[in-house]
Amino acid sequence: MDLKNIKIETQKEIKNAKNIKALDEIFRKYLGKKGEITQIFDSLKKLSEEKKRKIGRQANLLKNEFKEEIKKKLEKIKKEERELKLKKEKIDISRPGKKIESGHLHPLTLIQREIEEIFNSMGFEIAEGPEIESEWYNFDGLNFPPDHPAREMQDTFFLKQKNREKLPPSKKFVLRTHTSPAQIRYMEKHQPPLRIIVPGRVFRHEATDAGHESNFYHLEGLMVGKDISVANFKAIIEEFLRRLFKTDLEIRLRPSYFPFVEPGFEIDMTCLICKGKGCFLCSKTGWLELMGAGMVHPNVFKNSGLIPHQLNNEGWQGFAFGIGLDRLSMMKYKINDIRLFYSGNLRFLKQI
Amino acid sequence: MLFSYNWLQSFFKGKLPKPEKLAEFLTMHSFEVENLKKVKGDWIFDIAVLPNRAPDCFSHLGIAREISVLTGLTLSSLLSEIKEDKDIKAKDFVLVEVKDKIACPRYTARVITDIKVAPSPKWLKDRLKSCGLRPINNIVDIVNYVMLETGQPLHAFDFEKISGVQNQKSKLKTKNIVIRKTKKGEEIVTLDEEKYDLDENILIIADIEQPLAIAGIKGGKKAEIDEKTKIVVLESANFYPQVIRKGSRIINLRTDASLRFEHGIDPNLTEIAINRAASLIQEITGGKVTKGLIDFYSKKVLPKKIKLDLDYVEGLLGVKIPKKEIKNILKRLGFKIEEVSSQQLLVEIPTFRLDISIPEDLIEEVGRIYGYEKIPKVFPRAALVPSAKNSELFWERKIKNILKETGFSEVYNYSFIGQKDISLYQFARSKEVIEIENPISSFNRYLRPSLIPNLLKNTKENLKWFDEIKIFELGKIFYKKEKKMLSGVLAKKESKDEEFFELKGIIDFLLNKLGISNVYYDQYKQTPEASSIKIWHSAKCAEIKIDGEEIGFLGEIHPTILEKTGIKEKVFVFDIDFEKLAKLSSEEQEYQPVSIHPSAIRDLAVLVPGGTKVEEVLNKIEVTGGELVRDVDLFDIYSGEEIPEGKENFAFHIIYQAEDRTLSSKEIDKIYQKIIKVLEENPEWEVRK
Repeated sequence: MDLKNIKIETQKEIKNAKNIKALDEIFRKYLGKKGEITQIFDSLKKLSEEKKRKIGRQANLLKNEFKEEIKKKLEKIKKEERELKLKKEKIDISRPGKKIESGHLHPLTLIQREIEEIFNSMGFEIAEGPEIESEWYNFDGLNFPPDHPAREMQDTFFLKQKNREKLPPSKKFVLRTHTSPAQIRYMEKHQPPLRIIVPGRVFRHEATDAGHESNFYHLEGLMVGKDISVANFKAIIEEFLRRLFKTDLEIRLRPSYFPFVEPGFEIDMTCLICKGKGCFLCSKTGWLELMGAGMVHPNVFKNSGLIPHQLNNEGWQGFAFGIGLDRLSMMKYKINDIRLFYSGNLRFLKQI
Repeated sequence: MLFSYNWLQSFFKGKLPKPEKLAEFLTMHSFEVENLKKVKGDWIFDIAVLPNRAPDCFSHLGIAREISVLTGLTLSSLLSEIKEDKDIKAKDFVLVEVKDKIACPRYTARVITDIKVAPSPKWLKDRLKSCGLRPINNIVDIVNYVMLETGQPLHAFDFEKISGVQNQKSKLKTKNIVIRKTKKGEEIVTLDEEKYDLDENILIIADIEQPLAIAGIKGGKKAEIDEKTKIVVLESANFYPQVIRKGSRIINLRTDASLRFEHGIDPNLTEIAINRAASLIQEITGGKVTKGLIDFYSKKVLPKKIKLDLDYVEGLLGVKIPKKEIKNILKRLGFKIEEVSSQQLLVEIPTFRLDISIPEDLIEEVGRIYGYEKIPKVFPRAALVPSAKNSELFWERKIKNILKETGFSEVYNYSFIGQKDISLYQFARSKEVIEIENPISSFNRYLRPSLIPNLLKNTKENLKWFDEIKIFELGKIFYKKEKKMLSGVLAKKESKDEEFFELKGIIDFLLNKLGISNVYYDQYKQTPEASSIKIWHSAKCAEIKIDGEEIGFLGEIHPTILEKTGIKEKVFVFDIDFEKLAKLSSEEQEYQPVSIHPSAIRDLAVLVPGGTKVEEVLNKIEVTGGELVRDVDLFDIYSGEEIPEGKENFAFHIIYQAEDRTLSSKEIDKIYQKIIKVLEENPEWEVRK
């Protein structure tokens, strides 16, 4: 057969080949040991030099073209087969995803971490204090006069002790009613300027309901320096709340009374739900009561071994605040019952 | 405390702001108005007067004074005109004797004759009712009215009911009124017919025979005002707050009067209040006020003076308020000012302001009246000192994250446990458990000496909803002392009895991530001391040891405890001393180079007597294998068919690898043979070839 016909023939056969096996057969038919193109090369040696060169070149050309076409066709078939296979493997993507079981951190841990990060970024150190406190640290040192109605503002759990009445305040123990004792504990050991926050569990002798618990969490803040003012407090606390709630909110200060600060404030912030217009959450006031705060009372400095502000501008001054983490967490995560925090209920805890 | 808008209005000629507006003023500058209610042509304010302001603001007069400062309206004077009867003298009726000058710094009394007891006029009744008091008769109502108005509790006695002796000069019997502490065995029947046994040392008002009233708390039945009363002895006294507070606590009786006395009252108020009451009685009942105010006042209280530095006002508030404005605020508050220098004021404090004693108190007054909302927000200037790291909190955070990674959820439990838990866990044998003197109930009488009891309660509850429980808590326990513990529970509805090792794996993972090596699990041995806590299944419990120091326990909960707590499933628990753990943890961790040379695995099975510890075999393989054995994994423990009675088969994968070369099979075989030889040195161990 002449080369031209072979070429036509191969092209036709390649085109008709349906699968890899058929293609393989075509290859062998032409380029196998007895293949038609192979035979042409075999027959070359019988020819004259001139013809040999001419036909040889043509045969080579044919061989290369043939190989190229086989290759192209092979790729085409492979691609088709692969696509067919993919089609067969089609899945129902609407089927549900496989559940991943991960552990969960407690919402109070989450909010505490977030608050710690915010204050850390403003240079506040995190300190801690004991849950069993002496009456001295919990009351007397914080300027609560002995046997004064102010102590009753905080319903206290007392530890059972023999002859308790006869012991001095430093030996009478209670479950701390606030984290404020840590102010004194820290200032006894550190020289100002200083800024700390103190998260921790506190206790109040209260009947429990959706809004009250006998143990809950407070976070104390304290910043002391030569010239720390109410204006500074307002800036720090508003920045903190804006970062925590990730929204543009306002705070306001109202007069209040805590024996360990003077002046003392109650801090409200714009209601998160109505943004100040008034709604059920804020009892139509537009404000949410958030925390107690004030300027550290001179007696607290004295009781911590520091000198409070003097007429010659020596001595220290600063602000302190105490915020309930449970309430804050309830506001942030829309939790309606404080008791859920201490229920160990995994249907609650596994939500976030 | 309830206040009437109409009543407050009566102190001013000018018109008060609308109730809502007034409430806002008070909330922002004085005290929170917690509730505002419209009642029959009046508005009732429920005001949370701050405890330090009780002395001057537990009264309409006090609130009116605040309003006057806030609005600039002028307050009308309360001074009352009394027409005393020149012919009859009060001191002919009563003789006051104060036995305890500290408990009773001032005692004033007036005698009013010819009174006619009758119902009060409507306006008076209305005002009492609007503030939550029940009208009784004109005398009692006036006494109560003056208390609500001025903050000074008063009391009225029926003169004729007071026991006394015949006076020689006049035809009258002079009555002795004695203010003294009770003697043992004294008792009193109060106005509401309640009998009180008066302990020793309770302050009373008595006649020559018996108590007439519990001082500052409640009047007695004996000298009660009734329809027949003709002569009234009015009392307006000042008592030492702690004395009233203590007495009120001992007899467990709190009244409107005791509430006010407990917080302290200005002794100079008694006179103003008694004259006000006398003038009202005169006006309403037509009585004759006898001549003279009986007044026992041992030491007159005078106004204090405080030096105020204006730079400090600015420095503490963080805003510059003009001097003129500061002076104006202080003047409106009733303070007298003397300018010592351009930056210093000497401020005289009226005696009714018991709450003001230091410059900071004055700065609060300036700040709140000026308006805290006008103070700008200014970030403090401070040295850029990075905050010190709290390493305990750092590890707390890290541990919680690691446990979360292993699928554990965090719980917070109460710090309390009950009597039942104490006996169940047999903590009671130890005196180290801490008890609360005033628990809310017997369920929370003790501070938790362990996190486990409450974790088991969580487990029981949650098993109702979940097939598998993995929870942990990091919190304080109280046993001998306060201590932070880390405890957790693993429980499954369908136990394969592998949870011990699952939990052990988790502890290994935790310790590894905390950079702690040298962990060793020791068979739990009950020490006589620790045996008071029978929490653990004695055969399925391990002590977790690091460098030989015990840091906690790992094991199954004792079946008795599970039975008594009503848990049907097996429960596995770890209980670790957090403080020890945090101390041992290390942030310094290093990566090892990864060998580029292939590893080879050979399996090895050893037949050992039942009860042999895997660790023993494992140690031998590791020690013998040396550096070239990179890892040994136990992949099967088998006993039963094909295994001789009383024997167990341990199967290991031994992984060989060198850092610097591909190990030849010759080398591997050599180590392998050596391991077999060493293992078989124990005559009871047989390597199955």
